[in-house]
Amino acid sequence: MAAPIPASLPYADTKPVGHADFYFAVNATFRFIQRHHGEGALIKYWQDLGQSYYQPVSKRWSEFGFAGVADYWRAFFAAEPGAEVEVSESQDEVRLEVKTCPAIRHLREHGREIVPNFCQHCFFVNEAIAGTAGMTVRVCGGNGHCTQRFMKATADLAPQKLEDIATAS
Amino acid sequence: MIGCYDFCGHYEWTFEWLNQLGGHAFVRAYWDQAIHQDSQTHASKLIREKGFEGMKEYWGPTLADEGALYERTVTEDVFRIDMHGCPSKGFLLNNGLEQYRDYCDHCMGWIGPLMKEAGFVIDHEHNHCGQCWWEMRRRTDSTPESAPGALSGDSDVRLRPDWKSVQTDHYERSTDPDDKMAVS
Repeated sequence: MAAPIPASLPYADTKPVGHADFYFAVNATFRFIQRHHGEGALIKYWQDLGQSYYQPVSKRWSEFGFAGVADYWRAFFAAEPGAEVEVSESQDEVRLEVKTCPAIRHLREHGREIVPNFCQHCFFVNEAIAGTAGMTVRVCGGNGHCTQRFMKATADLAPQKLEDIATAS
Repeated sequence: MIGCYDFCGHYEWTFEWLNQLGGHAFVRAYWDQAIHQDSQTHASKLIREKGFEGMKEYWGPTLADEGALYERTVTEDVFRIDMHGCPSKGFLLNNGLEQYRDYCDHCMGWIGPLMKEAGFVIDHEHNHCGQCWWEMRRRTDSTPESAPGALSGDSDVRLRPDWKSVQTDHYERSTDPDDKMAVS
């Protein structure tokens, strides 16, 4: 029987936190797709994943707005081993201050070669999730710590600059 | 961010995405190149260098961390796993996730090439309900798969009343995910 988890996560496991070695496979998956089909295919993978697999998250964000976004990320990072993340919510945005990215940390601790554009996945996946909920995300930093801001999508908002997302190593 | 808590969910989703992009050969290449040769290099190294001892060192902590319900039987000639509750397939079943036609193929997809490289062959069955068994022997050892209960006693997953399913896949001295035969 699955352990009780916060309802803000769409899928339940029997253990409270994930197995960190799976970050190896996430990193390897990015490398494999990019090596065989290029960066465009990798970005499409991230966007498709956000729109399809994470569709229940979009639905919840549509329904509950910023409160749903904040609840999701609190539950999400509580289930990621080694994550140190502050989630704050205001009238205009939900802000994640990622002090320790659990994936970058684990990959580094085990001497794994990290795909240089690894941190871009947070923008493309999260933007795909947010988009169908009428929101958008901006990511700044990366390579172990970053800031992610979830806001209402408006025409006057400057687009994400990919150069604002650090190269991972 | 893509997390590790629900890894098995997006991993399974990825199989079908890759299948749509490049077909079955591309999914096979993913299991071998991305999982065996990249993600699981720690497993490859242990098993290539230490054989059965390496299998113990790899699967012991890994299956514990993943929350597997299993029994392990090791002799000088065989490494056997009886999986009574696969955490990976269990996650998919518990959450109603099924995009790819046969998720269970991924294990033979990366473990098969690893064992081939390390000099082992595999007898294996999975019932698609979260139960399976594995016997790894040296390629030079022609001993056939054990009879139910002969090697792992009461822990043998084949003795479970719910072992038989509508779709059980069987592998004999294999290292290739496409070698499977259906068991009636």
